[in-house]
Amino acid sequence: MEKMIAVDKLARPEENILISLEQMSTARTEQGLSPFNAMPFEDDFLKSRLHGICAGEFQAMEAAGRTVFDFPDAPWEFKLDMARQVWDESRHAEIYMKLLDYVGSYYGEFPESEVLWSCTQAEDPACRVAGINRGLEGLACDVFEQLIRMAQKMGDEVIERSVDYVLADEITHVRMGSRWMRKLTEGDPERLKKAQDFQDNIDTIFNFSGSRTVPEDAKQIKQRMGNKVLDIDEGLTIAREARLLAGFTEEEIERLIKGFAKSAAY
Amino acid sequence: MAELGNRANVMGPQPIARIVEPPPAMIAAADALLAALIAGRRAEIEAAADPQARDAMRIIADSVKPGAYDKVTIIGQARIAKHWYTKARLTGRTAKPFTLQFRLGPESADGKDGGRWTVREATNLTEKRSAWSK
Repeated sequence: MEKMIAVDKLARPEENILISLEQMSTARTEQGLSPFNAMPFEDDFLKSRLHGICAGEFQAMEAAGRTVFDFPDAPWEFKLDMARQVWDESRHAEIYMKLLDYVGSYYGEFPESEVLWSCTQAEDPACRVAGINRGLEGLACDVFEQLIRMAQKMGDEVIERSVDYVLADEITHVRMGSRWMRKLTEGDPERLKKAQDFQDNIDTIFNFSGSRTVPEDAKQIKQRMGNKVLDIDEGLTIAREARLLAGFTEEEIERLIKGFAKSAAY
Repeated sequence: MAELGNRANVMGPQPIARIVEPPPAMIAAADALLAALIAGRRAEIEAAADPQARDAMRIIADSVKPGAYDKVTIIGQARIAKHWYTKARLTGRTAKPFTLQFRLGPESADGKDGGRWTVREATNLTEKRSAWSK
């Protein structure tokens, strides 16, 4: 079996529409939307955000599975953790497919981009876990914490509890990533630096166009959800508490906030 | 705990939104474009494309031999906000299947149905696994 497979080798139903990140960006900006991700002010925010997460769970499941296979010489415990993650992500994908149904959507309503998979393409397992488990799963903590707060405001316990359940796993995945990034690079600062740089690149990719800050400082906008008008975050926030639980340091979180604030896209 | 997949049992107070169906005018525009492609009606194909997509549509039209295909299958559709992607396959007895994917957008900014829809991008997916293929 081939290692480090290209993104188009991922199996998808033929009826699914797959596009590049560039195509997605063009289609969104032509309609006056932010380039990469559905933002809370959009009509279809909830459907579109849940769909993006669902597709992300599929790619995360595939990525963890490939990590088990791509690094046969890695420690047995490392492969066990990655195998566990495959199982977790598959449950998450099922949960999000049901949530899509719940909000009147379905997997395939929106196109899927290859961006998450592109973030997994590292030939060193330390980089792989830094990118996926710390970069992408850290981002997932941010996205999920925000969804939970929105669901609480909507009074929607289905979304609140479902996403909280998934968030608990993501926190564990980040911790696994931190543990293995350090363990695999023990005594090799150069390798550690490479892994951290790989993660930094991923953090930069997901620097969307909105202002990213902690929830307490987030600008609020009015959004209609069902029969309610709610004050919700203008953009994607950074979940300080969830990230701390996941093992990120205060310094790392501050670096994220400052990094996002000074980005050109911001 | 209610079964989340069963709409009758959902417990959240948020009204369950309806599934968004493809607008009939978009479907009609897609059908017309594909019919023009099969028949080789170049002027019609050109007129259906926005300036940014004309070159891509021209290349696709060059690859479709008029009269070689007699059947169109819509494989899938998906949307980004008010723009719709369509993936379609052309088949015929004498030619290899031809697969393409294109995005249609409404000319009216509000995306309401009934207006004119134009091609904003088009990709030849023949012999590719997907648009993810490099």
